[in-house]
Amino acid sequence: MSKSKNKLTTCYTSLECNSCKILNKRKFIDGDFVFSSSENCFDCDGKMMITKIFGVTMD
Amino acid sequence: MIDCWDLDFNFNEFLAWVGEDIDTLMMLIWILPVIIFVFYGQRIQLLISSNEIKKDIGKLEEYTISTKKDFLNYVKNNLTSKTDPSKRLDGFFDYFTIMPVDMDPNGIISKINHLVRSREDFIRLQINGMFSDLPSVELSKLQNLLEIVTTLQLFYKHTRHLYLTAKKQKNFPLILPLQMMIPFIMEEAVALKDAMPAIKKGQPIGDSIGPMIVGQMMLDTTKELAAFETVWSKTTFENRDLFLLKAEGPNATVGRPGDGFEKIISNKKPDLVIMIDASLKLEGEDSASIAKGFGAAIGGIGTERFKIEEIATKNQIPILALVVKQSIHEAITLMTQEIADKANTVRDELYDMIRDNTTSGQTILVIGVGNTIGVSQ
Repeated sequence: MSKSKNKLTTCYTSLECNSCKILNKRKFIDGDFVFSSSENCFDCDGKMMITKIFGVTMD
Repeated sequence: MIDCWDLDFNFNEFLAWVGEDIDTLMMLIWILPVIIFVFYGQRIQLLISSNEIKKDIGKLEEYTISTKKDFLNYVKNNLTSKTDPSKRLDGFFDYFTIMPVDMDPNGIISKINHLVRSREDFIRLQINGMFSDLPSVELSKLQNLLEIVTTLQLFYKHTRHLYLTAKKQKNFPLILPLQMMIPFIMEEAVALKDAMPAIKKGQPIGDSIGPMIVGQMMLDTTKELAAFETVWSKTTFENRDLFLLKAEGPNATVGRPGDGFEKIISNKKPDLVIMIDASLKLEGEDSASIAKGFGAAIGGIGTERFKIEEIATKNQIPILALVVKQSIHEAITLMTQEIADKANTVRDELYDMIRDNTTSGQTILVIGVGNTIGVSQ
């Protein structure tokens, strides 16, 4: 998380399962990068691939 | 204490006099500011403008100090070094580049290219020698962080120089260009300062949208090195050959697309080049809006664009551009959800562009331009 004046930005990682195509969103973890697949799907045990990493800013 | 009534001042007499000669008094009231502004107008303007500029210079100094501290803390906490690297890194902050003479501009591009690459190679070599077992991702991140600190320091020093010179010489016209430029300098400085956290963590920035789109198209293809820190691969789309080119991720690098294009063309000449990049939006334009156009969509100092344009011209290859509009702040800080969500739309636009401008059996080169930090392929 980074603060700029009164704004707070939280970084999220968006993942998609290569098998069942289920989507998941969680907070960014160090080492995450787009198109890496390091974790298993919580639904079908297939490989989850990171599709997006983005920041959401709140005032 | 002096009692004013001791001066035999008669207020009623004064009022009577004013009543008789009001025009004289009004003339005195109006002429005084005119005289002041004629003789001291510039100084008053200088005083007002310089106070605003002084505040901004204070902010620039604060940004320079904080980013420098941040950078050194990052190095100390995350990398192992035989000796304390702070002193050597401190020396890098003051490095400068002397641009080639442009009195005779013929051949200046290759000179600038040589100069910029020599500087990059030198910094890379020096940083690599300072730390043991430094992965390429970390090395590229350090180069980017160093660039941020040196740019902020340069902004601070140059702005302060212009301000102090104008003040020292009491030269108001000298402060005018600075007054005009300072909002733009501050916008870029804030963006650079805010870029630090994303670069340290290796998160994609707004500029990474081009490599992100091409990176996804490159998945499940065989990637080959096209140039230094630049990869390419082949795929197909509706009976057309697609050559894909981008910087090698997830390193914090823009790669060398010009050199990559040169290598690809020695293999097979594409019929069309499409460049996908982030582009600075104009005031009033929406962030993450998509625009299509002609020409090489690539920023930087201009050497890569020159190379791409030269090869395309020599081989008579049309270049189309597909850009995602964003502000300078969005382009160099953590990618916003708005921009990230546009990836699929841009890909659809790209396929439409290919369908509209090529026929079956043709070859298209798609270049994902931008810093590929946090985006692999």
